Amino acid sequence: MSKNKHLLLWSSLAGLILLVVAAVQENFLKEWRRIQSDGRSDEGAIKVQLRQIVNTGLNTADRCVTCHVSMGPGEQGVRGNDTLVVHKPVVHDPAEYGCTVCHGGQGQATEKADAHGDVHFWPEPMLPRSFSYAGCGTCHVSPGIPNRDLLEQARLAFERLDCLACHKLDGRGGLTRPGGGGMEGPDLSRTGLAGYDAGWYEKHLKKSEEAKDGPWKTSFAPIRDTDRELLATFMGTRMAAPGLVTAKAQFHSGGCLGCHKVSGVGGDEGLDLTRAGQRDPGQLSFSEVPGERSLGNWLAEHFRSPGALVVGSQMPTLGLSEEEIERLTMYVLSLRRRELPGAYLSKDRARTTRLGAREFAGDGATIFGAFCAGCHGLRGQGRRAPGMPGFPSNTNPDFLELASDEFITETVRRGRPGRRMPGWGEKEGGLRPDEIREVVAHLRRLGGVASKPETTPRRWVSADAAAGQRLFAAACAGCHGPRGQGGEGPALNNKVLLASATDTYLVETIGRGRRGTPMEGFLKPSIVRPALARSEIESVVAYVRSWEGKKP
Amino acid sequence: MTVTPKPPGSRLDPEPVPRRDVLGLASIWSAAAALLFSLFGMLRLPKAAVLSSPSKKFRVTLPDTLPAGEALLPPGRSVAVFRDAGGVYAISTICTHLGCVVKPIPEGFECPCHGSRFAPDGSVTKGPAPVALPWRKVSGGGATWIVDEGATVPAGAKVAS
Amino acid sequence: MKTAAPPPPAMREFWENLRAAPRRIVETAFRSGKPTTDRTRSTFVFGNVFLHLHSVRTHRWSLRWTTTMGLGIASLSAFLITLVTGVLLMFYYKPYPDAAYVSMKDIHFVVPTGRFIRNIHRWAANVMVVTVILHMARAFFTASYRKPREFNWLIGMGLLVTTLALSFTGYLLPWDQLAYWAITIGANIAQSPREVTDSLGITEWFDPGGLQRLILLGSDVVGAEALIRFYLWHVMILPLALAALIAVHFWRVRKDGGLARPADADQRLGPPPGETYPIFTEAPAKTYHLAAIVRGRTPLVGRGPENTVPSMPHLFYAELGVLMLTVCLCLVLALVSDAPLKELANPAVPENPAKAPWYFLGLQELVSFSAFMGGLGIPLVVLLGLGLIPYLDREEAGSGEWFGGPGGWPLVRASIALGLGASVVVEAVAIRFGWIREWFPKAPQLIVTLVNPGTVLALIYALYSVWLVRRYNSARAGALGLFTCFLCGFLVLTVIGTYFRGPNWVFYWSPADWPGH
Repeated sequence: MSKNKHLLLWSSLAGLILLVVAAVQENFLKEWRRIQSDGRSDEGAIKVQLRQIVNTGLNTADRCVTCHVSMGPGEQGVRGNDTLVVHKPVVHDPAEYGCTVCHGGQGQATEKADAHGDVHFWPEPMLPRSFSYAGCGTCHVSPGIPNRDLLEQARLAFERLDCLACHKLDGRGGLTRPGGGGMEGPDLSRTGLAGYDAGWYEKHLKKSEEAKDGPWKTSFAPIRDTDRELLATFMGTRMAAPGLVTAKAQFHSGGCLGCHKVSGVGGDEGLDLTRAGQRDPGQLSFSEVPGERSLGNWLAEHFRSPGALVVGSQMPTLGLSEEEIERLTMYVLSLRRRELPGAYLSKDRARTTRLGAREFAGDGATIFGAFCAGCHGLRGQGRRAPGMPGFPSNTNPDFLELASDEFITETVRRGRPGRRMPGWGEKEGGLRPDEIREVVAHLRRLGGVASKPETTPRRWVSADAAAGQRLFAAACAGCHGPRGQGGEGPALNNKVLLASATDTYLVETIGRGRRGTPMEGFLKPSIVRPALARSEIESVVAYVRSWEGKKP
Repeated sequence: MTVTPKPPGSRLDPEPVPRRDVLGLASIWSAAAALLFSLFGMLRLPKAAVLSSPSKKFRVTLPDTLPAGEALLPPGRSVAVFRDAGGVYAISTICTHLGCVVKPIPEGFECPCHGSRFAPDGSVTKGPAPVALPWRKVSGGGATWIVDEGATVPAGAKVAS
Repeated sequence: MKTAAPPPPAMREFWENLRAAPRRIVETAFRSGKPTTDRTRSTFVFGNVFLHLHSVRTHRWSLRWTTTMGLGIASLSAFLITLVTGVLLMFYYKPYPDAAYVSMKDIHFVVPTGRFIRNIHRWAANVMVVTVILHMARAFFTASYRKPREFNWLIGMGLLVTTLALSFTGYLLPWDQLAYWAITIGANIAQSPREVTDSLGITEWFDPGGLQRLILLGSDVVGAEALIRFYLWHVMILPLALAALIAVHFWRVRKDGGLARPADADQRLGPPPGETYPIFTEAPAKTYHLAAIVRGRTPLVGRGPENTVPSMPHLFYAELGVLMLTVCLCLVLALVSDAPLKELANPAVPENPAKAPWYFLGLQELVSFSAFMGGLGIPLVVLLGLGLIPYLDREEAGSGEWFGGPGGWPLVRASIALGLGASVVVEAVAIRFGWIREWFPKAPQLIVTLVNPGTVLALIYALYSVWLVRRYNSARAGALGLFTCFLCGFLVLTVIGTYFRGPNWVFYWSPADWPGH
């Protein structure tokens, strides 16, 4: 019968040992205890305990400060080891906002791998340090960002005009500038958020005229209007997150919004990117991705070859440089918008969601870069890169010569129903009339062809459509399709085209052709066919017009 | 096991249990020890290690029009902020008696629960409250001030604005 | 003036009473004095509310480790562990979507001992499921369900179902992906009678499936309503039901004459060891009339020397030992492995594969053939069959003995081979060649529901059992074969569901072959 006593004795002792092991594990072996036991504040050793930052408005309870003690409220003085470092000064005091709202990760966790989100079941791991700025996207939208070229020009203007002699920008410039020679002007790092004195130029000018020497004389001189415009652009984009602004400018240079929507604005063909920075790496396939299983790494690889990562992806291979890929990755990672309570709704976000401010700058170059460049190329050349499918070149001088502003505007506004070109003025998430106007003006600038007022009536051709039909079948159907439905060349039976194009436009385009494209001028003979007479061209136009009102 | 000779006895008078059952006692006591130890572990659980209350520090903007000695009550906080000639200061509005929220009145503060009264500087004038209302730490300047509900300063410590 | 007046007697008595109070509290706690002799221990056992479910003396056969392997006490111990740890978890758990998940994270990361206690709770629940199933198998294989214990077998089945229900309802509470999708599947299994009513076209008038699902979830989706219902079931209704059933179960063990033992148990055990003190040193000649009135028979009359030992301490050492062993097991598991907690539940992103708790994966495997037959039809038939066993097997040979009855161990051995073989073959056919849907895409739903690998397997087992009944001319033989086969089938299906099913419930040799991983 002592068998049972032995059973009880040994299982009890084993249980006791296991409980002691658990107690030791819980009370002595936690990493955060070791880190905190190194910690010293002015009053000596700090109390070893769990710490957290609670923000009821943002609905966070971040225990990151259990290890990173000196980033917590009132503990900036704690030192002791590499983990106990103070957060660099930022606008959003981590003691109030917590950590995860910007950096991601699992705020509730108290162990490193869990907290940094490097565990299988945490969908939002910490943003790597190189992509820290992407965290701003949780609450901010940074409105009015121009395209890359414009931003670069603006930055160069800022540097060239030696503003850094007196002004600080993102931690450089002013008195800290190497070489000196400056003075202490206002910090311009946040002018895009906080605004700045609109009358600065006049005041600068006056001071400069009054001054005898010193920086007011040596570093300031009257500035041309174009440069001042660039400076205004640059000031508007200073939001204490230069890396993110550059990344967004890159996004506004590849025509991404032509296919993708961000916060309800953009095309419909691609994935809605509004929350693309929040995708769970656990839900993505990493079989084709070298390196670590992070969203940033996946995105970068995706930009290199979209089709390899997403089966059936329509997204073309963009042929981007590594720097461009890094910028786009940063921008997409920043698309992590969170629902915010009123008290935490940022001004810029309120401006975009409630007052209709745009995330892109309002100039034609930026809008064209953000929406159109994906198909038509950044300079409107018709294809974005060699080897990619062709689209109409809308900066072709022959085209701009013949097309009226009204025709181009109408084309942008209503698109080509049934074809790839959406009606940007009519679709949801499209462009506003003044934005379309800017785009048209930008096309004219790009092509270097000014708009000419229409002199002939819109419709004047009255010719034999039947003869036109024969000619069309012989000369045009090869590229434009037997019924004008399009083939290699554009579709001609499109109702928006027929409604907005004038007879003059059609006749002249057929007659003169369009240089740089397969479309030849039919008034001149070629080796395969004789020239067409003007009357014949008119009959072709009459035939084309006969499709109007018919179902394509 | 040695077979002990069976003792004579009757059904009605069972013999006492042998006393020196070391194995049995050891097993029982180790089981008791294990269960007791686990009980201690379990008793630790209800004591929360972190509190879900938000940061005690908060920002408050004092309007220029705030009359001297008039209380500004930041919403959701239990502190009254004042500005007078001496500077800016904050007094807790939690009654030191049983934790009701006191109401600023011209003569100081009044607790609605058990009738305690406090002078404008927080000291008790009437009622069951045992000690004065504590002053809270204030820092900053200009229009925006940071009040720390978690830090107490000596009564009368005003911060010049 | 100094008059040392003696204190009034009442005062002195008061002081003396006060001094004696601690001693008297101890005395009155043990009504019959300290349990230091067999007699006082006996009165202690039947005078104590917690102990009086035990008889005062226990037969030595019951104390043999091989008789029960302690599985019943282990189940109870596991239940007690889940009860204690469960109550502790309730200090922090918040039964509301999202908040529930956050509170689980709190328990995991910042509640003192929280992670450990949650792990213990989770592992004890698993241990309980295992021990309950094994306990049932033990009771079956030792033919302990026979007269007069038939009804206790039914109560035991109730305990099995309640245990599984407790486990299942606990599954939703963390509100993570695992929980959400397991419960979604579970709720749809509850709705699966629609598969039949739909194909009969009577769902509009008679919809037990929809009703079951609605009652389970309180809504049409798994949401806050479902969570609070599952919480209520998990922490209130089911534990109370389980406790009540346990009480009846134990009471019946006691009243049905303790544990079953072979008729020749006394001879096999030999004379009692010297350390025990028998009630009867020789066979009594006298009957005990009161006992005769109460129980209808007096087991001790005419036998002897009787072979019981005092329950205290012998039985209690064994019981306490099993309790501590179970505690140990749960502690080891809790130290080694954390209870899972996946991502926050996301109704937009289904888990793939969404797997139920392991003990339901056999069912889920059946469900993958037909929701109704797998989720309700076959389980109900199995439960019905189990419940009828004690009423169909009225034989006496082999009671209280492992694999007792005609056929014995060789029959069980053959049944294991058949049970494993048949289930593997049927599964292999279904996995390799598909089933009716793949062969005859236009087959009516009712046929697909009724004729699927699960029902075919059940039919094979049933036919085998009928053959056994005829061969051995014994219902017990058939029951032995059938029960063994079902255990084997359960095992095979569970293993396949656990280890060999991947995304879209496709068969994979290893999780390493899963796409996208």
